[in-house]
Amino acid sequence: MEVEREVVFPAAPDEVWEALTEAERLEEWFANDVELDARPGGEGVFRWDDGEERHAVVRELEEERRIVFDWDDDGQTVIELAEVEEGTLVHVVETAPGFGTALELSAFAWTPVA
Amino acid sequence: MDARRVDAVFDALGDPSRRTLVRAIAARGDATATELASELPVTRQAVAKQLLALADAGLLRATRSGRETRYAVTPEPLGDAVDWMVEVGAAWDDRLARLGRTLRGRGAR
Repeated sequence: MEVEREVVFPAAPDEVWEALTEAERLEEWFANDVELDARPGGEGVFRWDDGEERHAVVRELEEERRIVFDWDDDGQTVIELAEVEEGTLVHVVETAPGFGTALELSAFAWTPVA
Repeated sequence: MDARRVDAVFDALGDPSRRTLVRAIAARGDATATELASELPVTRQAVAKQLLALADAGLLRATRSGRETRYAVTPEPLGDAVDWMVEVGAAWDDRLARLGRTLRGRGAR
């Protein structure tokens, strides 16, 4: 089971990349307080004003193209960038904890239970 | 939203034979391990074990009926999974809207 979003921003990939990987930029849109070591194996701590706190490890990082966060609850977020004519296409996939059955389950979940 | 509960649902439904059982029970309304084993190419023992796993995940409700246990499907855990999708999707819509604003703010400078 996963959630997927795709948005085009009128900005260059390097600008979007900064907003995805620099702690003080992440604080402008992702969480209220961010610590992030943006390199493969680096750790991240994300805190929100409502008291929520999530920990992540950077599983993969490809400069200005792709970053993958493994969350401590076993969920995962993949963010990919692609340069397009209008700016930068941002593709986000967040996978539920316990992924592995996503495709079949999402089909199953919508099958009417007689 | 309890991520662990969603996790248990995914694990329980990760096995094709367990999904077949859930479908078979949903189709009948309720069923016992003996009834299910008679219409599926598996032993009663194997069915009983899978039914226990599904009941542990909260996907089935067990009711004693004489010497047998009858199982019925409980839809709530699937609702949890759908809730997760709606909740996480809405969170990303908000975040991406904020990301768009911060990028526009920079571009104007």
